[in-house]
Amino acid sequence: MKQKQLVGNDIEISDKFSSIIRKLFIVGGIFSAISFIIFFSDSHVSHYFYFSYLTTYMFFLTLTLGAIFIVLLQHITCAGWSVVVRRVPEVLMKNIPLMFILFIPIVFGMHDLYHWTHLDAVAEDHLLQVKRPWLNQFFFFIRIVFYFFIWSWISKNFFKRSILQDETGDHQITLDMERSSSYSMILFALTITFAAIDLVMSLTPHWYSTIFGVYIFSGSVLIAYCFTSLLYMYLRKKNYLKDIVTVEHYHDLGKLIYGFNIFWSYIAFCQFFLIWYASVPEETEFYLKHFEGSWTYVTILLCVGHFGIPFIFFISRWLKRNLKYHACMVIWICFMHFVDLYWIIIPTVAPNGIDIHFVDITLFVGIACLYLGVFFKNLNKVCLIPKKDPRLSESLNFINY
Amino acid sequence: MNEILLAEFENPNKLLKAAEKLSDCGYSSYDVYSPFPIHGMDDAMKLKHSKLGWIVLCGCSLGLLLGFLMQTFMSLDYPLIISGKPFFSYPAFIPVTFEIMVLFSAFSTVFGMFALNKLPQHYNPIFKSDYFRKATCHGFFLGIDSNENGYDREKLRNLLSEIDAKHIEVIEDDV
Repeated sequence: MKQKQLVGNDIEISDKFSSIIRKLFIVGGIFSAISFIIFFSDSHVSHYFYFSYLTTYMFFLTLTLGAIFIVLLQHITCAGWSVVVRRVPEVLMKNIPLMFILFIPIVFGMHDLYHWTHLDAVAEDHLLQVKRPWLNQFFFFIRIVFYFFIWSWISKNFFKRSILQDETGDHQITLDMERSSSYSMILFALTITFAAIDLVMSLTPHWYSTIFGVYIFSGSVLIAYCFTSLLYMYLRKKNYLKDIVTVEHYHDLGKLIYGFNIFWSYIAFCQFFLIWYASVPEETEFYLKHFEGSWTYVTILLCVGHFGIPFIFFISRWLKRNLKYHACMVIWICFMHFVDLYWIIIPTVAPNGIDIHFVDITLFVGIACLYLGVFFKNLNKVCLIPKKDPRLSESLNFINY
Repeated sequence: MNEILLAEFENPNKLLKAAEKLSDCGYSSYDVYSPFPIHGMDDAMKLKHSKLGWIVLCGCSLGLLLGFLMQTFMSLDYPLIISGKPFFSYPAFIPVTFEIMVLFSAFSTVFGMFALNKLPQHYNPIFKSDYFRKATCHGFFLGIDSNENGYDREKLRNLLSEIDAKHIEVIEDDV
């Protein structure tokens, strides 16, 4: 059989994306400005604004964290097939510093977002008194800085070495990355769990769910695989990597998306099922809120749209290999991930029902454009594939039987 | 009288080439035998995609329905109050429904595979060949049945030796 070799120079560093970067930054800037104008002009919205911001923020934070997981997973399993689809997650995880900067508005909105920052309310609430050693502002900020320190350390570590290998082609680098992926994975698992608890679960400080970290994790890996697949399709449309990232790779990405989608459903159902069965008032509080008013429809939409539709319509091998169909399904799953986060976060501020505000859209578009702008800016500086990885030839010749 | 033309090949690559050649010449009801699955053989033999998936889909749907209906029937026919939940509390049925679905899917996979491969097969003329015993450890064989369209023993013999068959044998089926 003929072995495929790396030919052509479309993977090399050049100023490929400068026009799209400019457009993204302009659109991102305009929409962020609109959001802030709304925030300052309408004092009624400013409280809601923070919750909307947190939803969008979590969407992109989970995406970045999922990208870290993908890179770690590929190294920890010594995966060969995925070498050519590793660069996009690597560049995605480089956005951690951006996510740290984007955290600043949440610092200002602490009082609006988190009930446990109201010291007068905490003083009268026995449960929150007990949780005070963990849920207090000082410790909260220390933890957030610590999480971001760990994440940026991991992402920098793996990104730098992968880029270094592009130049030197040293096989030892791959071995080093495989070795350090093990403890990085443990650190990642712990930090994402506690970050999910701090950022999202503490919105409803009386409620607790021991599986909540895994719930956010499953969504984050799902969204990261979806974005990886989408961004490679975008590159393909721009005539890059056409013969390098083939249908076989999309097929495998599709399998992982499908698997993690089921994993999300499994975790989501586990969380609901145990709380529903045990009927402990502290725990059921959360779900009662989600079965109130129009939130019931969002809950049903999640069950059908996040689990049912991808489960039935993304199962087939032929559909995963049809790239147009694949792209539609992946966009749908991304949308569902946003609905999932919206469903977790917004009922705290709008307990009576869904209340989609203009600021939801402007914030999402604004941050999405900034995020992708930084992504493409980083992608501009590197090769589109790890061109000297020792497993590159295995990945180039990868076929699903 | 039926007969089978059995050819042995040295390695999986040669077997793959032979299958390709036979397919190109228009033969379709031959079979290949090897100790392990050979990647690319499906394409070489121009086989269609297996129907097993659809059989499993039927099995799993049946299991899903049966599991759910069984529990519904049980909890309504013999009502018990369990932690104050309504009798028909479908979230509680989901784990068992899921397990039964998996069980039925597994059964339909295994037995569907048996049916598609026409197993168990107690008699096959090919078992008469002593050489064929090697197929379970290090032999790579190709067998063509005389029911094949355009079967011509001499022509096939030439064709097979052309494509580097190590050993050719004619097995007569006198049943």
